Amino acid sequence: MADTGSICVFLAFVISVYTLIASIFGGKTRRSEFIKSAENGAIAVCFLLTIASASLIYALLTRDFSLKYVALNTSRDLSTIYTITAFWAGQAGSLLLWSWILSIYMTLVVVQNRRKSRELMPYVIGTLAAISSFFIYIVGFVESPFERLTNVVDDGRGLNPLLQNPYMAIHPLCLYMGYVGVSVPFAFGMGALISGRLGDEWIRNSRKWTILAWTFLGAGLLLGARWAYLELGWGGYWAWDPVENAALMPWLTGTAFLHSVMVQEKKGMLKKWNMSLIIITFFLAVLGTFITRSGIISSVHSFSQSDIGSYFLSFIGLILVFSFGMFILRLDGLKSENRFDSILSRESAFLFNNLVFLGAAFSVFLGTIFPIVSEAVRGEKILVGPPYFNRVNVPMGLILILLMGVGPLISWRRASKENLMKNFLYPGILGVLTAVVLLFLGIREVAALISFGLCAFVGATIFTEFYRGARVRAKRGEYYLVALLHLISRNRRRYGGYIVHIGVILIVIGITASSAFVVQKEATLNRGEVMRIGGYSLRFDGIRQYTDNAKDITAATLTLYNSENKPIGVLTSEKVLYKYEGNREIDNQTEVALRSTFRDDIYVIFTNFYGKGRASFRVLINPMVSWIWAGGLVLVLGALVIMWPSASERKEESAVRYNVKIPEQSGAKV
Amino acid sequence: MIRGKIKFILAIGIIATTLTYLVYGGVRDTMVYYLTVGELKSRVPSIYKDKVRVSGTVVPGSIRRGIDGSLEFKITDGKQAIDVQYRGIVPDIFRDNVEAVVEGLYTPENVFQARVLLAKCPTKYDPANQSNKGKNT
Repeated sequence: MADTGSICVFLAFVISVYTLIASIFGGKTRRSEFIKSAENGAIAVCFLLTIASASLIYALLTRDFSLKYVALNTSRDLSTIYTITAFWAGQAGSLLLWSWILSIYMTLVVVQNRRKSRELMPYVIGTLAAISSFFIYIVGFVESPFERLTNVVDDGRGLNPLLQNPYMAIHPLCLYMGYVGVSVPFAFGMGALISGRLGDEWIRNSRKWTILAWTFLGAGLLLGARWAYLELGWGGYWAWDPVENAALMPWLTGTAFLHSVMVQEKKGMLKKWNMSLIIITFFLAVLGTFITRSGIISSVHSFSQSDIGSYFLSFIGLILVFSFGMFILRLDGLKSENRFDSILSRESAFLFNNLVFLGAAFSVFLGTIFPIVSEAVRGEKILVGPPYFNRVNVPMGLILILLMGVGPLISWRRASKENLMKNFLYPGILGVLTAVVLLFLGIREVAALISFGLCAFVGATIFTEFYRGARVRAKRGEYYLVALLHLISRNRRRYGGYIVHIGVILIVIGITASSAFVVQKEATLNRGEVMRIGGYSLRFDGIRQYTDNAKDITAATLTLYNSENKPIGVLTSEKVLYKYEGNREIDNQTEVALRSTFRDDIYVIFTNFYGKGRASFRVLINPMVSWIWAGGLVLVLGALVIMWPSASERKEESAVRYNVKIPEQSGAKV
Repeated sequence: MIRGKIKFILAIGIIATTLTYLVYGGVRDTMVYYLTVGELKSRVPSIYKDKVRVSGTVVPGSIRRGIDGSLEFKITDGKQAIDVQYRGIVPDIFRDNVEAVVEGLYTPENVFQARVLLAKCPTKYDPANQSNKGKNT
């Protein structure tokens, strides 16, 4: 089975290179048989990588310990689901996953565009084939998951217990779908540059891909945050770790891109800007994969064995040189068709949104690579910590929330006074009122006051939009709810966007509350003793020790009382000792206890115990963390509304097919 | 039209200046030297006032846990060693011989008062997100 895998990877590499050459050649000479052949090549690569991936999964499930990858990442006692997810637990498997997802996307792009953008497509396929050739090369020749061990072991080393968590099982998958997804709009951008068709065709045809990639990246970030919150047990969900930043950066520039393409579609402006943005976003996505996989920056993980670093750096260099080279060649074709008329206009709101997003991405980039830069420049490793990132990004974030309220409602070209008054007077008043009321309620954190005020402002603008739209329909005799649904389905992009914005507001509220008003306390308690924290009381009820087939568990139980001294729940935090020797190096793990409501999270970390009657805890009250996860769900829902195929598009598509088929038939009749 | 342009330039200038100021100030106030045990020792006494991050291997048998949750141990770069004191959450993988990273102040009593303790994943395990960490937030 493993041989099947490595043969398939090898063949996929050969065909991928062929696809690259055939599509570029076909595009240059306009010979459609080559283009057709390249498109079939793309599908063949997908087919082969699917077999390769299946054979890796098969090897994992059958515990084929003659494979190094299987021996390193699984053990006999591992449950089936985590055996499958061990596919992306290590480097070689992750890279195979990258290539596989890319080949699936490539196939979808081919199928979607069989009769569209014929000028662009050869180069789009060519770009995707170039990217996939690189990754398949790494999987096939540098870091193969099908590498054999010289002597077969009896049992593997097991999966890191930290990765045995449902969120960790899907978080990397989600993140990779996002990282890889960015290659599609990038390939369309390159297609536009190489073919010289620099209108907004490339943007329109890759728009849904951009949203897809963006959504996966965002969801991946949130899932990773949730995993860290539940599993790492230090009480927070985001630490500005290089690996987290690596995923955040392409998301930030991708968000900028999503907004600025609207200006190009509507006004024919910002063409150079959009092209640069997608190049930068793709660069950051590959860099993100590189940082995650190579551990070059993170001080907390260092992987000695990795020799993929130099390959990745060369690849990244090549991407930058080639894409910006093409960009400079085509500068003339990227001239703006319009210019900015007024600073009070939607296009300038979008421009500022873009500048701030890019600024934030740049500051994160600088902070992340600071140790490398300082070592190169001054010979000393200097780190900048979370305070740096917070100081820079909190103000940036606040400006972005403001623009999120302004952008969708301000008129294009030049906003009149009436337009501004009509759309922003009441929401503005509401925002200020919110901040003032909260101030009187005793909140003194300036950033939190501004943040909540802005959230109220943006929420009000979005509410007005839905209300106005639904009212117009309701006047024609529709029920309000029906009117609302019709409103959304008739203009999915606009109202889906608003739903995404609502999700973002919920996330911002959650982040603001949980970072500004966290309370924490440490205590060592005897059995029956009570600790008080933030209006709650916790009584330590004792320790229970038991064993299941994989681990020894020491569980500390506490009863939670609310401010009226009524018991409202039982919390159990555990210390887990894994029996199996393969996990020796990470053989114990603390499972936090969590009671989560929309008001606050009670987060209990069992830090130590002294016999059965005495134990130490660290307890945190994290307000409104659940809003972040709820906001994430709303965000994904909004993205689904945007991406759902609409009736008009289907009509458009069938019209295209109709046009293509009719001349042939009528020709035959004549 | 010229007036319009000036407004744009001004606005962009304000954003750029704010960003530069935030980045510069942020770096200046939060930067931390990242040293090995030997480098730390060679910078005594000037290093006493700076917040530093030091990495080293935990000396076997040196870990002592106090009843109040405090922790004392030694880290070494193979040649020299320093004493570390820490209070807070101990990463699950922290143990003898593990590569530890501590952040805090090196005091003139030659004890490192750590506010942050991280332990490096010592294995081939390469989680796609961050690994074990213990933080004082």
